[in-house]
Parts: sequence; structure tokens; C-alpha cells
Amino acid sequence: MALKEELASIVSPEDVSDDPVTLDTYSRDMSFAPPIKPRFVVKVENVDEVKALVNWANRTATPLVPVSSGPPHFRGDTVPSVPGAVMVDLSGMKRIFRIDRRNRVAMIETGVTYPQLQPELNKQGLRLPMPLLPRANKSVVASLLEREPTLVPRQQWSSLDPLRCTEIVWGDGQRLATGDAGNWTSMEEAWKKKQAASGPGGPGQTDFFRFVSAAQGSTGIVTWVSVKCELLPELHKLFFVPARRLDDLLDFTYRILRFRFGDELLILNNFTLASILGVGAKDIKARAMKLPPWVVLVGIAGRNILPRERVEFQEKDITDIARQFGLQLLPEIPGAKSSEVLEAILHPSREPYWKLDYKGGCQDIFFLTTLDRTPGFVSKMHSVAGACQYPVSEMGVYIQPVHQGASCHCEFTLPFDRNSSKETTRIQTFFTRASEEMLEQGAFFSRPYGIWANLAYSRDAQTTMVLKKIKGIFDPNNVMNPGKLCF
Amino acid sequence: MTLSREAYQAFEGIVGPENISDDPALLDSYRYPLSHTAIHLGPYYRVYTPRGEAVLLPGSTEEVQAIVKACNKYRIRFKPSSTFWSAWGYPLEDNTIQLDMRRMDRILEIDEKNMFAVVEPYVIGATLQAEAMKVGLNTHMHGPGSSCSCLASATSLGGLGPDTFYMGNHSENMLGAEWVMPDGELLKVGSVGSGLGWFNSDGPGPSLKGLVRGMQGANGAMGVFTKCALKLYPWPGPKTLPVEGIVPAYKAVLPDNLRSYTLGFPTWQAWADSCYMIWEAGIGYIAHRQFNMFGRDLKGAMIMILADPTKTLSDLDELMKDPEVQKMNEDMERDYQIVLAGMTPRDMEWQEKALDKILKDTGGWKVQGMLEPNLHDWSLLYMVRLGHKNLNLVYGGGYDGCFGLGGSPDYGTSGTPPRVEEVTAFKVEWEKKGNIVAAGGDAMMGGIGGMGGGGMTIWENFTHFDPHDKASTEGTLEFFNAAARYGMEKGWGPGMEKMNAYARGSDGRTTPREERERIFLASAQPAAFRYQRKFKEVFNPNDLGDGYYRTLDEPKK
Amino acid sequence: MALEDYKADMERCSQCSYCKWIPLDQIKSWRFAKGCPSIAYNNFNSYSARGRFAVALSLLNGQSTYTDRVLDIVYKCATCGSCDVSDKICRYNLEPLEMMHELRFRLVEDGQLLPQHMLYIEHLRKQDNMMLETRAERGDWAEGLDVKRITSEPAQVLFFAGCRFAYDKDLKETARTAVTILKNAGVDIGIMGKDESCCGGRAYDMGYKGEFIKFAENATQAWKAAGVKTVVTSCADCYHAFVRLYPPLGTKFEVLHTVQYLDRLIKEGKIKFRKKIPLRVTYHDPCHLGRQGEPYVPWQGKEKKILNQVVVYEPRKPRYNGAWGVYNPPRDILKSIPGLELVEMERIKEYSWCCGAGGGIKEAYPEFSNWTATERIEEAKSTGAGAIVSACGWCERNFTDAINTAGDKLKVFDVVDLVKKAM
Repeated sequence: MALKEELASIVSPEDVSDDPVTLDTYSRDMSFAPPIKPRFVVKVENVDEVKALVNWANRTATPLVPVSSGPPHFRGDTVPSVPGAVMVDLSGMKRIFRIDRRNRVAMIETGVTYPQLQPELNKQGLRLPMPLLPRANKSVVASLLEREPTLVPRQQWSSLDPLRCTEIVWGDGQRLATGDAGNWTSMEEAWKKKQAASGPGGPGQTDFFRFVSAAQGSTGIVTWVSVKCELLPELHKLFFVPARRLDDLLDFTYRILRFRFGDELLILNNFTLASILGVGAKDIKARAMKLPPWVVLVGIAGRNILPRERVEFQEKDITDIARQFGLQLLPEIPGAKSSEVLEAILHPSREPYWKLDYKGGCQDIFFLTTLDRTPGFVSKMHSVAGACQYPVSEMGVYIQPVHQGASCHCEFTLPFDRNSSKETTRIQTFFTRASEEMLEQGAFFSRPYGIWANLAYSRDAQTTMVLKKIKGIFDPNNVMNPGKLCF
Repeated sequence: MTLSREAYQAFEGIVGPENISDDPALLDSYRYPLSHTAIHLGPYYRVYTPRGEAVLLPGSTEEVQAIVKACNKYRIRFKPSSTFWSAWGYPLEDNTIQLDMRRMDRILEIDEKNMFAVVEPYVIGATLQAEAMKVGLNTHMHGPGSSCSCLASATSLGGLGPDTFYMGNHSENMLGAEWVMPDGELLKVGSVGSGLGWFNSDGPGPSLKGLVRGMQGANGAMGVFTKCALKLYPWPGPKTLPVEGIVPAYKAVLPDNLRSYTLGFPTWQAWADSCYMIWEAGIGYIAHRQFNMFGRDLKGAMIMILADPTKTLSDLDELMKDPEVQKMNEDMERDYQIVLAGMTPRDMEWQEKALDKILKDTGGWKVQGMLEPNLHDWSLLYMVRLGHKNLNLVYGGGYDGCFGLGGSPDYGTSGTPPRVEEVTAFKVEWEKKGNIVAAGGDAMMGGIGGMGGGGMTIWENFTHFDPHDKASTEGTLEFFNAAARYGMEKGWGPGMEKMNAYARGSDGRTTPREERERIFLASAQPAAFRYQRKFKEVFNPNDLGDGYYRTLDEPKK
Repeated sequence: MALEDYKADMERCSQCSYCKWIPLDQIKSWRFAKGCPSIAYNNFNSYSARGRFAVALSLLNGQSTYTDRVLDIVYKCATCGSCDVSDKICRYNLEPLEMMHELRFRLVEDGQLLPQHMLYIEHLRKQDNMMLETRAERGDWAEGLDVKRITSEPAQVLFFAGCRFAYDKDLKETARTAVTILKNAGVDIGIMGKDESCCGGRAYDMGYKGEFIKFAENATQAWKAAGVKTVVTSCADCYHAFVRLYPPLGTKFEVLHTVQYLDRLIKEGKIKFRKKIPLRVTYHDPCHLGRQGEPYVPWQGKEKKILNQVVVYEPRKPRYNGAWGVYNPPRDILKSIPGLELVEMERIKEYSWCCGAGGGIKEAYPEFSNWTATERIEEAKSTGAGAIVSACGWCERNFTDAINTAGDKLKVFDVVDLVKKAM
């Protein structure tokens, strides 16, 4: 049977495409990953199709590249690294098949996006902590699997929160449910017994779900997850704590983290905040000039129990804490009002995607570190930017404490004009050099996309070796997105 | 079987002659009686875990690596343990050396700002807590209490405890680990592997923390952990616990922003509702159904005994007849303990109000008797330091837990009658036979939230017996067998009473293969254990661990 | 009781390892958390109470036999009782210290002796003291002391010097001081002088029960003959012997430690302080005065069970868990001395760290003994104190030896010495 026919017998004919235009869109993304066209794009609708596809891929030694979000993609992880790949597009798997208000758990398929999910959760008085303005077509599952940081660090007891249970089809074709769901004989039976898919651990003595996290689809394909939601606030305020220097904000932020006060807690520089609020380059630039160089955004929410009192006392206490460090807690700053910022960060990005609005293209450099080290990284980035003649005033910085403050996501957003070969060349040079300098300075590229993979794995030979062995177990024939990470 | 001279000398050359012994009597102090504590199999009267070939006391990661490599060379199994409380830390088979990790007992670092500590295996909860408190921090205290190894809880065992809903499960708290793999190579999991410090356990890429442990750890059957980093939490109290009182009735008079309550509820539904509300409100620092481990009928009297230095178990009978104590028992029938910790006065005030609202909405109450200052201060210290977990065994020296009903609070508390009452009634009938303490059927202890943020409760029904008494021990075994059958008949699944029966059998040695396979094949996903077999083949090629690491060896059909 | 009578305890031991630490509630630091010197020094599990329960059971069950290692395990215990206190935080139906003594008695009965102990025991048999000194010099410490000799002149109160205070050239003065202060405060006090013999307590701790009984009976007879009603001593070992080990043999004397008597006299105004001592000190609770210094309560009974399997005793059994040891009198004395500042170590009272002199350790394992004392010295220094004060000659000697070995500067005093200085 021709390959296309074989694929059509697994899914349905209309879900298999080898249309050149379609293939072209999957062959490249906004990163500098060299474009390689896939052979086919296959849309899947359920786990049985995924299983059959993976088994087929093993039989035919065909690389599979899973993708679940809509374009544009930025990291190169969904661009095939080898020819002849089949794209496995899960974006059509959009079932929200359970929202459990009592246990605050939602179970969703991989194609569900934030704009789809949040309103459904809201109807039940819930919401899901989000990353910073994700694309509207970003898959929730993809975001969580990629370990994108969310805005509410105090709700992250586990570094992978709010991700809980998963269903995975591994590269060897084996289906496995993980976490609490891994111990159930059937979901319906479990739900009848009032069980919830809350716990992420196991089954057994392995946290299987950790092997698909930040894996760029190179170990298996996730078809659904359960997520831990928070209650929808009845009252929600946002405040700004501005400062001229990033250093001045650190002790304050550490104190808020320690007390586990507030909800949203993140640090932005003026350019990032301007990019979030502004429309078009001119507006963004103007706002950036007005805004203070640095600001902590502090959200305070009151939920179902004494909401007003919670917001009131925390506002007072956080004001006192700010004062202790010579800072102020403000509802408004030049260039931004709390209502507009809160509105923005509680929703996915409008179109165009906020990072592209300034110049049409951007590269991100991000890694994990600890909050106290972030000024050093900012300083180094500025110095590399200077050397590469990249305008520091156009560099966005986003600092997000994660895991209740145990570590910190540090992100630099570097807009550039994709239509200018000069800027494109400059950004490539800057990106590479800055990444190397960040590594030298101590950046932990825990999500090693593109060139970061070489950088990260060259520092940890033992992890590299063990990961290869893990890969060999879950994907013995290396059909899952080969060429990514250290594989 | 004894170690070959060559092997013994090799080990001796690594640790030094003063840190190795194969003396039979000394080795017998490294055997665990299977008529005993939280072994979750048996109990088996006067059966002991097998004697190891030798015991070694390594003093460094380098020594551990050398030992493990030597084990690979001579094909000798090795079993590490730190605080040795419960059977899983002991050999399963002959040809096993015991590693006693006692000499590796340092707290290597406490990063006050970023709130984590790096510890070696023999750091216990109490010492880590004491050092953390000096800088305004606290550690999650795992369920068996502050005498147990923090690293073992994080890397190798369960990791839950009374404060988990606030301070996480130790698996969530583990920010990195240094792992001597079963082949002797050293893996540093997380950011520390890249030489960047101990702040994150995931990456680069897929997280190898997943290989270290899942819901549980490998119980010492896959290599040896020599360091780990643990997330710490705020402690809004004094730098040292101000402990007062005459032994054993210690108590701590702490500032007003730290308070301990015992909450009672009119129905199990209300009890469950309160759990959800507490999690949703985000209040509370420690919450656990702790004192119920003494038994529904006995807990009031036991609390009075423990908080009074002049009282002993001999006062039980009399106290149980005291109307005040009986009233307290009634108030506490459907209860749990909760500690509130306010980071600021306003925070404390809000938490108190929120708690009052929750009680109002659920019809619950603060048990009056436990508000009496002496009992309050006693229970506050108890819950914070968790230094009395030996009380599990106070009655006759033996305890183990049955049933479990782990899952959402609704799971255990729903049904007609509620499942927890079914369990109670079942146990009451067995208490009548005389082999286990007549505690009132319900001696269920468990956390309010088995993971950070809440989400899970567990109902370990404490069964107290006398391991010195053959009839008591054998009667307990009979009860646990019946409890296991009852749970399966009811559709509750396997209970805690047989949790480790897959690893160790009635002779103290590895459960026979057929039985292991039966257990794993009956699980919801045998594939998980087939994958673990593959991990073992790859990372432990000479099979030098033991049956505590669950592997399904039969080929997939 | 015999070792077999503790088989129930051996099988009921919780395996919790609380015996290795001070009561967990009392831990204030990583550095000073340990309670049992034996396992802290030797590391193998068998060197703890739970370990010794297991070793004893193994021997009783015939699963192992006596080896050098077994002797090392059994004799490298200071019999300090720290394990006993920690065990009984929860498990007060366990008696690890009693079991430890029985284990030693059994080894001695079976001829498993330590030559280092035998040296002292043989000497004890011949010269009636544990100091390897001659009997003839027993009374020399009191030479020239104007105090009654009760063998010739009756007195209400007998001051018992004990071997250490009688023979130790540095500590004799403390004994002299104690007697003098008490006499001058109006106490009708006498001594036995050269007729005093060892109390037998250290022989008991080493495992020589027979020797102990012999000396106890001799002492008791001598006191009866002299009409003694009250015995006062400055030695914690002797105090413990008289308070806890003698009464089961039928003795009925009032026993006080010097600090108890002094405390009473100070509070009655019969001792006045005229000088300031500007010194920061810390007080070391001797094991045998503190946690093992609780009064003896006669009991004869048996185990019974209530509520099916709760182990209690009939009649109600007294609990020795260190609760009612002698803790306050020495502290009250020190606090009442003008200028003196008392600071506490982390491990105090019933959870005090042993000085390392007891249990036959000093005699048989000098390095272990020195290490134990050094640990305590470090703890004392961590308080910022310029001196460590105790109420036991053996503690004071061991601290002094450790300080001299290390070339340290910390001073060592007996409570009595400071009282004298302040008077």
C-alpha cells in the first residue's frame, strides 16, 4: 500500500495531507531551525488513531513530529529535523471531557486552547493559571508539557503544576495513563466513586509524565491531561510596584513569595509591559518611554471565602512590605492602569501575537535561575546587546518566579524585523552569542530548544547519557521527533 | 553465605576497617522483625528480614560509588538505609550487604533567600527543622516523624506528611538529587547536574526526577542517593522552639500567630466539605487527623495521659470513664487537627475568620477541650515537631495500617453508610476477638491533603497489637487478610495492609515470582511495571537491587 | 530480674531510633541533637539501645555467640540512660537501661570480661576502691578536718565522699569544702574517713552485680551500726547508688546530694554569700543525679493487658523517665550566687549529654571517654561560658582531663567550689 493510503486507513482520507502549501507551513517556524518539509500531515482525533499511527511509524521507520498548537511556532521543536517525517497534528482533539468543580480538576484533550477552556472553567467558577499572554491557538497541553511558567507561583507546589495526570502513547506504541488515572480501571468507575485525577505521581515508582515534559515530542504523544484549576476570583485587583533598578525589587519579591501573599507575581521591564499593552510599534515605543524601567505586578484575589477581607488585608500588608523596602504599591503608574493590565494578563494574546506586534519577528532567550541572580543576567544581556549593536531599549525582560519561588524563569524577548536581512543577521549573531554568555553566567536551559540543546547537554554528560537510555526504552526505533534535544 | 575474603577486603579498603563488620550479632541489629511497624505485609510472628553479609558505613559519595562498583564486580547486592524504621530498608535476600548511611549526616547548605536546603542521607527532620528555624524557615515533616531521614522520604519512599497541603510532598520538594546509580556511575538530577546549583530538578529536557521516583520511590532498590535538595517553607515563629514542661509532656508556648485547633464535624459530609474549603481558602499550615490513631474510644484519654507527666497507660481505664474525657471523644469523633500560622497579624486574623466561616458553613466546631492552654501548647508542639510518632506503637509495641481509601475526601466519606464507617464497623467486630486493641474500630489517621494545595486524603486504619504475643500477632495477620478480602469485595481495591506484599513474603524474603506477577498483572496498568523492568535492565544490569523495585518480568502477551 | 525477662521488650522495641537522639522536641540544632554517645562514636546500629535489644535477643535465641565485637557492643555503653529517657517519651513500657544492665550481668556471669574492667574489679576486691589506690589512704582526704568520724562518734548526717573525691588529688578539696560548709551551717555531720569503702555503683554499671551487692551490704551495715539516718554525698554516682540501687536491697536511709542540702540551707538563710563571682557558667547535669537520680519507688507486680492488647502493670508501675531528677537545686544555687551568670547548654536536665566517665568507659575505652567529654566541652563553649560546673567528681575529672588533652581554657568547677568562693 502506498504510504498515503496506509495513513488514510489509520485516520480518514481527509485527515491526511501532502498538499505542498500545507507541508510548507509545517516545514518552518519563527525560529532559525533549518526548514525541512514533512512528508505528510496527519490530523488525529483519538488515542486509538495515535496508537495505530505510532505502531505504523515503528513498522515503517517513519519519523513522527507531534504538534498541537496553531501557528506561528517559535522554538523549532515542531519543525522536522530529518526528512520524510509525518506531522501528527492533534489540534483537532478538542474535547473537554470533565470539569470537576469540587476537586478543581479539568480533563482535556491535547488540542484544547486557552480561549476554549477558560470560559468553560469560568462557568463552573474555576480558571486555570496561564502563562503570560499565550497565543490564542496555543494548546494548553503543549504549554504545560513545555513547562511554560504560569503567573501564580504560590500555586505551584510541584514544578510541573498545574499539570497532573496524562495519557501518553509512547514511541513504542504503548499507551499509559499516569498519575491517579494510572491506577484506575476506568474513568467512569473512578468518577462514580468520586475520585479525581488530582495526583500526578506514578503509577508505581516512576513519574512517567516527567519524561514527556520538555521532551519536544521526542518520547511520546500526549492525548489528554488533567489540570489543577484555581477558583475564579470574586474580587481581583492588580497593583504595580515600580523601581528604577531591578535589584531594588528583589527583596520585596522574595518577601511576597515567602509569605505566599498575592496571586499573580511577576517582574517586567518597561518594554515588555509596553508590548503587552500597546498596539503597534509607535504605541509600544511611546508607552515604554513613559513606564518605569521595572515593575512588579502583584495580583490580589479574593475567592469564595471572605474575598473582600482577603484582598483588603493583603493590600495593606503588601503596602507595608513595599514600604519596608522603599517601594510603593500602586494601582496606576505612568503608562499603565491596573485594570488594563489585569485584563491583558488574564487572557490570551490578542492578534497579532503581542511579541510580534513591534517588529513582526522576535526571538526569545529564556532559562531558569534564581531570582537573586537575575540582575546579573540582565546586565550581561545588555553588554552583549551593546557588542552586537542590538538596541537595549527594545529588549523585553520577563522574570517569573516559579515553584513558589524556588527557581525563577528569566526571559529576554528580542524583537526584530524579519524582512530586514541586516536585522535578521544581527539577531542570529546576538541570539547565539547571548545564549553562550548566559550559559557561561550560569543559565539553566532546562527547556533546551535549538542551539540550547548542545549548550545544555555539553554541560551534563551523565544526564545526556541517561536520557539517551530513557529514549531507547520509550522510543527504541527513534521515530519520535528524531534530532531534538540530545537524541 | 558469607562474603569472599577478597570482596570483604575490597570493601574494607574502601571504608576502612572500623566501618565494616560481618559479626553475626552486629548484623542481627540490622534485621527487622516482620511482626512489627508499618511493614504493610504480614505481620509474621518472629520472622525477621534476612541477615546481610556485612554492614558498611560509607562516609562520602566517592566511597559509595566505589562500594557499588565493587558490588558490580563481585555481583553482590547492596541495600542502603538511613534511619532504618520499617522493613523496606533491609535486605531481601542473601548475598546482600547493608549500607548504613549514618556517617553521611551533614546539612550542606541552607539558602535562606531561595528557601532550600541540601542534605545528606542521615539528616533527620528534627535537625533540619531546627537549623531551618534559625533563619525563619521550616521543612516539610514526613509522616513517620522527625526522627526519619528527609532524603529517604524524598528520593526513596512516600513523602507525605501532616503539613503536605501547605509544605508539599517531599517528592514535590525535591529540587535535585545526587544519585549513585546501580552501576556505580554518578547522576546529578536537575540543575545541579549542570553545575549550576540546586534550584530545579527538571531538565535539561525531560525530567530525570521521573526516574528517581513516582508516587513512591524505589525503597533503596535502585542505587544509593547521597545528597538531595529540599524546598523549605516559611516559619513565622521563634528561632528555636520554646519547649517547656516535664518529660514526656513537653509543650511549646508559641506566639499568637501560631495556633493549634482540633476541629470536629457533625457528619462525614461536613468533614469532607471542610477539607475542600480549607484548600480553597488557602489557610492552614499543618492539618492532619493525627490523634485519632489512638482510636475513636481512646484518643481523649490518651491525650490527657500524654499531656500530663504523672500519667501513664495505667490511667487509661479510669480516664475513659471520666465524663469530661468522654465528652471530648464525642466532640472529636469526626475530627482533625489544624495549625494556623499567620505570616502577619492581619494574615492570622483573616485565617481565623476564614476558619470560623468554614466551621459555620459546615456545622463544625473547635473542640473545646483541646483549647485548654496546656493541651493547646502540647498539641501545637506535637504537630510542629512531629517528634512523638513512636506513639503509633505505644499500646503494645506493634502497629500496622489497613484499608487506606486514598483519594478525594469524598471517596472515603461517601456511601451509605460512609466507607469510613463501614471500615470502622468491620474492625470493631475483629477487635472483639481480642487480638488487637479495642480502640473503637476507627483508628484512622491521615493527612488533609496528600499533595501540595490539597486534593487527597488517606485513611490508614491503625491496628495495634503485641508483637511479642503470638496470638495477637497471628490474630492481626488474620484480620489483615480479612480486611484485604473485604476491601476487594467492596470494590475499594487493594488496601494498605498488603502494600508491600509484592516485595517480601512470609519468610522475610523476596515474594515468589508467581505471586509478584499476579499482583502486578492485577494492577490497572501492568505496562508500568514492564517499563520498570526495562529501567532495571538498563540501569541495574547486574540486578543488584531487590524486589522492592517493582518489575514485571513476564513478557507481554 | 534476668535477661530473659526482657525478651518482651526486645521484641516490642519500636525500632524507631529515638534512643539515639535527645527527645526530638528538644532538638535545637544539628550539632547538639545526639543523645547516645555510644552510637554517636561507634556508628553501627548495634551501639544503640535498639541495637542492643537486637543483639541481646540474638544471643538469647542462639543466633549468635560472644565475639570481641559483642563485648565491644555491650561494654562500650556509658549506661548514661539517655536512651531510656528518649524511649519513654512514647514507649514507657520499655526498659532499655535495665536491659542493658542485665546484659552486662549476663556477660560477666558467662565469663565474658574485659581485662580493663577486671583490673579495677580485682583492685576493688582487695582495696575497696575504684581508683587503683590503697585502702590505707582512703581517709587522707579528710586529714586535719575537724569533723566527726561516725565509727567513733555518732552523727545525724553522714557525708559520704566516694572513691573519686576521696582519692583524686584535685578534687579532694571539694569534698573537704562540702563537709566544712555543711558543718558550719549547723549540720550534725560526720564522715567514715578511712573506714569508708566504695559504694559499689561503678561495679554495678560495669556488670559486677555480686560485687555491688557485697559493697552495698557492707555500707548499709556500717551505717546502721553508726546510727546514720541521712546520707549526703557530692558524688552523683554514689548518690544514684544510694537512691536507686540500695533500696531494692532493703535500705531505708534518707539520701541527699550536697547540692540539695546546700540549696535548702541557702533558702533557709543559713548560708550567705558575701562575694561576687563575675563569671558566665554553664551547668552540666550528671546522668546519675539528673535523669537517673529519681527517687526509688518499690514495686512488685506483673504485666497485664487491658483493652485486649494494651500493656500495663498490676499494680501500677512507677515510671523512671528522668522527670523527677535533681535539676533545680544546683541551678538555684548558681543563680543565687552574686555576679554569676548561668547560661544553659542545649542538652540539659533529663536530656543532658553524658560526660563519658560512666559505665566503665573511662576505665576501658579512654579515647571514647575523652571524645564524649570533648563533645560536652564544645557544647559548653558554644554557650559563651567561661566555666562548666557540675555536681559529680567523675564528670569534673573527665572534663578536666579532656580540657588538658586539648589544651583548652575552659574552667571546671563543682557547685560546692563556687559556693565556697562566694562565701
